[in-house]
Amino acid sequence: MGISLSKGGNISLSKTDPTLKNVLVGLGWDVRATDGADYDLDASAFMVKEDGKVRSDSDFIFYNQTRSACGSVEHTGDNRTGAGDGDDESILVLLDKIPADIQKVAFTVTIHDAEARKQNFGQVARAYVRIVNKDTNNEVARYDLSEDASIETAMIFGEIYRHGSEWKFRAVGQGYAGGLAALARQYGINI
Amino acid sequence: MDISKGQRLPLSLLFAGASQTVQVGLNISGLEAAVDFACFGLDTQQKLSDDRYMVFYNQPKTPCGGVELAVPAGDRTGFLCRLDSLPASIDRLVFTAAIDGNGTMRQIRSGHLRFLQNGQEGARFAFTGPDFQDEKALMLGELYRKDGAWRFCATGQGFNGGLAALVRHFGGEVAEDVPAAPPVPPAQTLSLEKKMAAGSPKLVELAKKATVSLAKYRLDATIARVGLVLDASGSMSGQYSKGRVQEVIERLLPLAVHFDDDGELDVWAFSRKVLALPPATLANYADYVNSAERGWRNWGMMSINNEPAVIEQVIEHYRGTRLPVLVIFVSDGGVSRNKEIKDLLIHAASLPIFWQFVGIGGRQYGILEKLDTMAGRIVDNCGFFALDDLHSISEQALYDRLLGEFPQWLEAAKIKGIVH
Repeated sequence: MGISLSKGGNISLSKTDPTLKNVLVGLGWDVRATDGADYDLDASAFMVKEDGKVRSDSDFIFYNQTRSACGSVEHTGDNRTGAGDGDDESILVLLDKIPADIQKVAFTVTIHDAEARKQNFGQVARAYVRIVNKDTNNEVARYDLSEDASIETAMIFGEIYRHGSEWKFRAVGQGYAGGLAALARQYGINI
Repeated sequence: MDISKGQRLPLSLLFAGASQTVQVGLNISGLEAAVDFACFGLDTQQKLSDDRYMVFYNQPKTPCGGVELAVPAGDRTGFLCRLDSLPASIDRLVFTAAIDGNGTMRQIRSGHLRFLQNGQEGARFAFTGPDFQDEKALMLGELYRKDGAWRFCATGQGFNGGLAALVRHFGGEVAEDVPAAPPVPPAQTLSLEKKMAAGSPKLVELAKKATVSLAKYRLDATIARVGLVLDASGSMSGQYSKGRVQEVIERLLPLAVHFDDDGELDVWAFSRKVLALPPATLANYADYVNSAERGWRNWGMMSINNEPAVIEQVIEHYRGTRLPVLVIFVSDGGVSRNKEIKDLLIHAASLPIFWQFVGIGGRQYGILEKLDTMAGRIVDNCGFFALDDLHSISEQALYDRLLGEFPQWLEAAKIKGIVH
């Protein structure tokens, strides 16, 4: 079990786990226990520059574009219901391969078709993001969002960012209305 | 202050001052049938571990007085919550509504859950029919402890299965006289005892015991097919020669006669290979293991145990059936083909078959013991219990255990459209 972060909290990944090179960002939530449409949550990653915007659309990693052009960020697949043990979706980040002009990688989760299904994060139980060392399987950090998620339909769970010569992780827990499209536009994607 | 469905917020945001006493007012209109409201006090596992903490019209107050039925002026019903009187073990109060009769929550014209203090409204979660679908029971909202303070979540979700499904969600026992449960329809089949008396007087006593269990689990009027899978690997030879396997058949036959459209118990034996035996009936059950197919010693079994092969054959046999199927699978353990069994049963969760595994006199049940909690299935389609010795359990208790999980599966399978 890694360090547990609260909303807004951050840690130095380089200091906490000096061997960390290949990061598995695991995102999870509980499958719906009640009747009705399943929660289909989608994880995405945005690779952004100093100004908080992507360089191009290819810096947006999601279910339809599962790998960045540089190969440093890779989405490992969509889970439609949240069923199963462990992480529901995960994104692989190879820190050494991240291009120098990328300042941070933000990890977001959006509820698919939230408006039609009348769903929001307040209904999703036990959402979390965790940072795992892919090579040792060691969990470095974890952020449980359940109480920080409410009527939003899109959330930035956390971000990995450069700080001088090291990498840090921040538990963001910032929510938005409007789904993946709104979130993508904010990061400068043309939709 | 208006609260939206799904919203979470601290109680301190609703009222100025530090008072931990709040009134909850509830109202739902537009439904033809009566609506039963309740407040469930749950533990940290979100289970109703203490039945005294379900407050409703038959139990208007918790022992601590922390929750009490009390209707604010203008509401249909409500609860007075003295949060600081609740024991620490009560972590969460869930306010629920359940329809007792026809209709679904989709038909609600208007409804609300509101908070008051000293008669003054502090916040309101309002909802209407389009917020819901086919639910018959709802968790409207919940007050819960978090980091030493109480918070509220406007849950607004529920179950198509009504109050019984809700109570099961909270892990409580559904008593015989749960108000919203439908009356048991008159039995569509001839009394089990009468059938036994006509076919086999020897089984009448067993039939009586089975009937009690069937009524207890509300299976009186259920029509189903019943299959029996018998481990006939080498380690089982003692169970056969001592007559224990024959006893299993005798005890199960009343269930098959009760449930089955044809009164037959479909039987398979397996070892390395699978042998489909002639169905056991009231006409041939006596000395079945020594007479069917020239008796168990001539079945060509008594080798290793190959569970996947028999599971596949049973699935194939019931392919296309429109009735629910209860398969009772008797094993003495030594199970090693865990991955194959698991994959088969996960895949089989979409079929109208419930698998009740029974371990007798064995060990190393492997995956069989974990089937209940196996992830990745649309419904929980497996149960398991072990008996050291068939004689160590009363016939009544055996029927209770054999039938314990089947009704839950049946209900879940109906909701998911697996059984019609």
